[in-house]
Amino acid sequence: MGQTLFEKIWDSHIVEEKQNEPSLIYIDRHLIHEVTSPQAFDGLRMNNRKVRRPDLTIATMDHNVPTTDRSLPILDQTSSIQIKTLEKNCKDFGITLFGMDSPNQGIVHVIGPQLGITLPGTTIVCGDSHTSTHGAFGALALGIGTSDVEHVLASQTMWLEKPKPFEIRVEGKRKNPHAVTAKDIVLSIIKNIGTDGGNGTVIEYRGEGITDLSMEQRMTICNMSIEAGARAGLVAPDEKTFDYLRGREFTPKNYESLVDTWRDTLHTDSDAKFEKEFTLHIDDIAPQVSWGTNPGMTCDVTESVPSPDEYSKGDANQKKGAEKALEYMDLKSGTSIMDIKINRVFIGSCTNARLEDLIEASKVVQGNKVSSEVRAMIVPGSQMVKKQAEELGLDKIFIDANFEWREAGCSMCLGMNPDILSPGERCASTSNRNFEGRQGNGGRTHLVSPVMAAAAAINGHFVDVRELELN
Amino acid sequence: MKGNIIKYARDNIDTDVIIPGQYLKIHDYAELATHAMEGLDPDFHSKVKEGDFILSGKNFGCGSSREHAPIALSHCGIKAVLALSFARIFYRNAVDGAFLLPIEIDQDAYDGIAEGDEIEIDVSANEIKNNTKNQTYKMKPFSEIIGKIIAAGGLFKYKPDLD
Repeated sequence: MGQTLFEKIWDSHIVEEKQNEPSLIYIDRHLIHEVTSPQAFDGLRMNNRKVRRPDLTIATMDHNVPTTDRSLPILDQTSSIQIKTLEKNCKDFGITLFGMDSPNQGIVHVIGPQLGITLPGTTIVCGDSHTSTHGAFGALALGIGTSDVEHVLASQTMWLEKPKPFEIRVEGKRKNPHAVTAKDIVLSIIKNIGTDGGNGTVIEYRGEGITDLSMEQRMTICNMSIEAGARAGLVAPDEKTFDYLRGREFTPKNYESLVDTWRDTLHTDSDAKFEKEFTLHIDDIAPQVSWGTNPGMTCDVTESVPSPDEYSKGDANQKKGAEKALEYMDLKSGTSIMDIKINRVFIGSCTNARLEDLIEASKVVQGNKVSSEVRAMIVPGSQMVKKQAEELGLDKIFIDANFEWREAGCSMCLGMNPDILSPGERCASTSNRNFEGRQGNGGRTHLVSPVMAAAAAINGHFVDVRELELN
Repeated sequence: MKGNIIKYARDNIDTDVIIPGQYLKIHDYAELATHAMEGLDPDFHSKVKEGDFILSGKNFGCGSSREHAPIALSHCGIKAVLALSFARIFYRNAVDGAFLLPIEIDQDAYDGIAEGDEIEIDVSANEIKNNTKNQTYKMKPFSEIIGKIIAAGGLFKYKPDLD
């Protein structure tokens, strides 16, 4: 019987395998950042261990870096300590670090692909759940905790129970691809399969609706695999993948011969079996807006906030969850999504802060002004994205419209730096999680695409971007 | 293992409410623990006792890969989380560092066990006994692999038999 792409990558990375033991898997790339690595380095020191492959380990700082003027000192002492600790750890253990002043600094899942560190057919880990992003390149990319970070630093391997392959087919063509985006596809998937629908699996996204997407859009899809509970998500590499990675800073010298091998091997065989399957038809899907406190609590922009009964379909816990969510979000069932007023907008995060995201958002913004009721910020995913956007003049479009144009980092996606919501503030956010307090204690998050966020910034409430003239 | 239940009767308890992002900068685990569950239940820290268990619904620990989540709970004294299901990274982190036992339960146990109930967990028998209600439930057995890592006392103590 044939194999899925995931199984092929898995098999080619087994160091040790035995029945009823976890498999020891070789890790090709280890990305680290300031928040989930300090205890791992402490552990190495305590046990007098070295980093086994510093050359395969890359560090950046993203989670709690300020997104304001980088020449100023960091006011938050604990953030400053974490950043200095990473600098010291990288120096002591010989690890390449893209620090605060590096032109390569940025969100770890944005810089990996951008620098050609992320490669098809490889295994990639990082102490961050959104590592699944790198799966867009046909890599097996897993988010791990700090104990596993330490294990990988010390051994370049990881013990893993083999996840099950899950096929998600995305079929059809979007009528307006500028208005209905990759974010709307992945939110639709999560809305349908639930936040635990992918539990214990590696998703392979397939079908015309996926191959039609650019690499950056595929990253948005794979990024949110974890929001469906999956261990990882991936897309088989194709010419778009190979073109994207060609000529980047860390792209291997023997790239073309690697591409030849990848073309022959990195795909799911026609007779391979998946253990789970789901198909989404996207011809008629609408822009999505989350109304609740997990990414599955999402509906079409043209719909109204559902009642807990409608949402839960008879499941008592789901009903209670929806009631709590509506209370936290201060929303009433039956309120039209387009009547929800917002006061903050965040365009950023590893989900939606790449160049294409900013280009698409700028088309909505151009010639308009942010509503006087709204504070809106753009946080590019990396310093390189920021520079490229500035070369296209996007910064000017956003600044003219009264958006804040900031330095790269995770920023308001997770509220570790000063970019947070105040209690009760309501935000249209291009990030990945609408959990209670995620963007700041008491803050209310609505997950949307970059174009939806941009349109909400201008109008002060959600609008159906299909009604706008976008091209 | 015997303790009292703190019950959160809902699904999808995420890592951001278990330990909000703003506290991930804290390096001292005792201090980290003072903020556990702060996003969901501000009274948690005052009511939790050494040896308590948390009981919750489906997909417990979804979201971030932050190991701070099981660490914060364990440093409050939580010895096990009983849930209808777990998000995988949380489950893995809990086992890796031997911070707490992630125990999958069925609907009977979920419905039968209430806030404050005293329960006894017998991992070798895969049984949960509710002393308050005098009921017994089955727990889902750990997989052979997970059982071995737990028995060893965590990932770094686990030595697989590799011939």
